[in-house]
Amino acid sequence: MSDVRDRQNDIERFVHNTEGRIYSRRVFFGMCAALGIAPAVARLTPAMADQKELVLVNWGGDAVRGMKASFVDPYLKKFPDRKVAIDGTGPSTSRIRLMVQSGKVTWDVMDRNLHTALEIGPEGMLEKIDYSIVDRSKVRPEHAVEWGIGNYIYAMVLTYNTKKWGSEVPASWKDVWDFKKFPGKRAFRREPDAVLEAALMADGVPFDKIYPIDMKRALDMHKKMKEHAIYYTVIADGQNAFRNGEVHLGQLLNTRAWPLKQDTKGLYDWTWNEGVSWGACWMVPKGAQGGKAIWDFIAMTQDPQAQAELLKSNGYGPVNPEAFKFLDADWNKVNPGAPENYSKMLQGGIEWYAKNATAARQQLIDALSS
Amino acid sequence: MPSQNDARAGWRPRHGTYWLIILPALAMLVFLYLVPLADVLVTSITDPKPGLDNYLLLFTSTSVQKTLLTTLRIAALTTFIALLLGYVVAYAMRAANSSQQRLMLFCVLLPFWISVLVRSFAWIALLSSRGPVNAGLMAWGLIDEPLPLVRNETGVLIGMVHVMLPYAVLTLYANMRGIDVRLVAAARSLGASRFQAFRMVFLPLTRPGLIGAGTLVFILSLGFYVTPALLGGGKVLMIAEYVAVQINDTLRWGLGTMLATTLMLSVLFALWALSRIIDVKRLFGA
Repeated sequence: MSDVRDRQNDIERFVHNTEGRIYSRRVFFGMCAALGIAPAVARLTPAMADQKELVLVNWGGDAVRGMKASFVDPYLKKFPDRKVAIDGTGPSTSRIRLMVQSGKVTWDVMDRNLHTALEIGPEGMLEKIDYSIVDRSKVRPEHAVEWGIGNYIYAMVLTYNTKKWGSEVPASWKDVWDFKKFPGKRAFRREPDAVLEAALMADGVPFDKIYPIDMKRALDMHKKMKEHAIYYTVIADGQNAFRNGEVHLGQLLNTRAWPLKQDTKGLYDWTWNEGVSWGACWMVPKGAQGGKAIWDFIAMTQDPQAQAELLKSNGYGPVNPEAFKFLDADWNKVNPGAPENYSKMLQGGIEWYAKNATAARQQLIDALSS
Repeated sequence: MPSQNDARAGWRPRHGTYWLIILPALAMLVFLYLVPLADVLVTSITDPKPGLDNYLLLFTSTSVQKTLLTTLRIAALTTFIALLLGYVVAYAMRAANSSQQRLMLFCVLLPFWISVLVRSFAWIALLSSRGPVNAGLMAWGLIDEPLPLVRNETGVLIGMVHVMLPYAVLTLYANMRGIDVRLVAAARSLGASRFQAFRMVFLPLTRPGLIGAGTLVFILSLGFYVTPALLGGGKVLMIAEYVAVQINDTLRWGLGTMLATTLMLSVLFALWALSRIIDVKRLFGA
């Protein structure tokens, strides 16, 4: 019996993980038959079957544990009769499109970012945020849009080796492009957001003139950079390149720079100066089944104390500006949402990326490729 | 499945029964391979709108052309280096006694058991500026500054040659084993020097092996994804990664599937051309 049970679990996991993307149910039954598995055993009911269960989709790993402790547990305490499932498989744009277009929407709340909300919201992929329940005033104005409400802040920050150049450390992107003063390998992500902005800042463009991005100017700067740099595609690979000493300075996500500093006992550090801050946000797929429970949940995650807890567990910066009051000075040093840090950074241009992300990504890849 | 009656009646397999046995595997192949493959072909001429617009990009898009050229250049260089190194190894294997041969064969096959991903990370660790290779060279005073051996095209080539070398060695070795060594001895007895005997007798006889191994390595090199993505430092974009970017990031599925189709057709064409020259079935061990 346990064998049948295992197989059933395998199948359900497969269907759950693929969300019916790869094969329709009919084809899948055919495959089961070919494999000698009775389709009757395969109880193909994804998580959505239970209407009361809210499905929260994020990017997995520590985020599942962190969001459960900071957001889900307090919510369940307030509404004991409700249920929440966390799916860590990642709400990528292609998966959202496929789910909404297929008409079988099993997700309720998705952890993504504001520029994606502005990109796919107008395409009819997202529900509009119900601002009668969700409180717009609990975030900075730039973190609330029609189809998404900020849930935490992340930043791409200048990260550097503290010992490589004696008492000198790079403090701006101009320094990163100064190959004589700060010799050594650089690292950037092979994605346009924040990478193009860093190039423009290095070229002397002030914050308020960054957008709309002058692609040619930014790419010319990276053509000068590329022989001195690696361009990582997987963020963990970039973090690792710093840790094993391959790279001495460059751009890294603040949630990676922090553990890097701890792992290396301060050999690496980062500065908020000229960092680029982005709003992650909650988005709701069009046709989500969760109803009012969705907005109840989102409204509860706006609590500054809950957000302060998420910073402590995952390094995610509280999007509610009040949250810094619940953190001591040490914690506020790693908090991108703390007023003194936030004001040093450029706000990522979500409107520009909503329109230009795809083209910019392709142009960056073309410029970097030999 | 045969019923009880068949068994009692001294059941013998009939021709059709064999088909029943392979039916599940065949059905799996059709569902999991041919159907999605057809889907790829169809997408390449229907997305974003029906027509051959995607294929036109082969001639109009500098981005696509640059990627194709990079792919061809790296595949050609990998093939050349792998053949050169593989030839030496295969030649030595042919000349060795049988216990040495077994040991050499074992060493050639060893890397097959390690995943390409692990090997790529191992190369990064070995070749990076603080890795043992650069540290050793600097300790001996051969170089002052670490050599840029990885996260660039050099790194990609090293990683790809490493993966491809067993294919080159085994194919060449299979070919060399079939050569009658007495021909070389005969040439020597007729006054040819060692080098002349090699160049005028042995080398021409290994031509089919060189062509076969070259084609095999070239074809396999065209589709590399993990190795260039990791060892290239984000700056060496080959066609497979370009396809992945189109499918996952820019969501231009038509362009991605067009390139996948083009790659597949090129490979099939190369195989067809190869079959004109040598017996492909024997090359792949059938």
